[in-house]
Amino acid sequence: MIKIQKKDFNSEEEINKIKNLHSNVGAVTSFIGYVREENDYKKVRSINLEVYKEMAYKQFEKIISKANLNWKLVDSLIIHRYGKLNVNSKIVLVACFSSHRKDSFESCNFIMDYLKKDAPFWKNEFYNNKNEWLTNSN
Amino acid sequence: MKIKYFAWVKDITNHEEENINSIQIKNLDELKVFIIEKYPTLKKHMEKKILRFAVNQEYIMKNITLKDNDEIAIFPPVSGG
Repeated sequence: MIKIQKKDFNSEEEINKIKNLHSNVGAVTSFIGYVREENDYKKVRSINLEVYKEMAYKQFEKIISKANLNWKLVDSLIIHRYGKLNVNSKIVLVACFSSHRKDSFESCNFIMDYLKKDAPFWKNEFYNNKNEWLTNSN
Repeated sequence: MKIKYFAWVKDITNHEEENINSIQIKNLDELKVFIIEKYPTLKKHMEKKILRFAVNQEYIMKNITLKDNDEIAIFPPVSGG
């Protein structure tokens, strides 16, 4: 399941919605990314996340397909927000559902690494008196 | 063909997207020349190979032939997640 949305989400509810679709999920690994209060000693006020939506959906589908080739996944979930987000807001949820923990741990890490490298989102970080476009370090 | 710009590239071009007359532009390299001529501020970023290109929502690393109805996106390194 892929969701690209402005509104906030409840991580537990979203994970349970997927888990309840399957009878063979023994392990779920999830990652949640938040807007930091501070970045490089600068106090963050808010961020604005820009997205190339059509491409983001395609890239997420590609990422999940690659994960499915390498691990035995029952299901996977990516929720990524965009728009203006305040400090401590949730940005992204990645959850991987499998029968056994190795597949869910490793695939979740893989999907996040790929997302950081290729998902077409851009963070504009706002401080007291300026703003800055960020770049992910790999 | 349609060109879409994102993040600080959009700030430089002052366009989210634009349609360009594609008669003179047959491939990605020729498009890059066109973009630099139109937006000279992007030249140094092109030369440093900082910018990324997508054609019809797929990353493109090499020179490819472009068609009239292609959608090309030009953007800086991503920062999602």
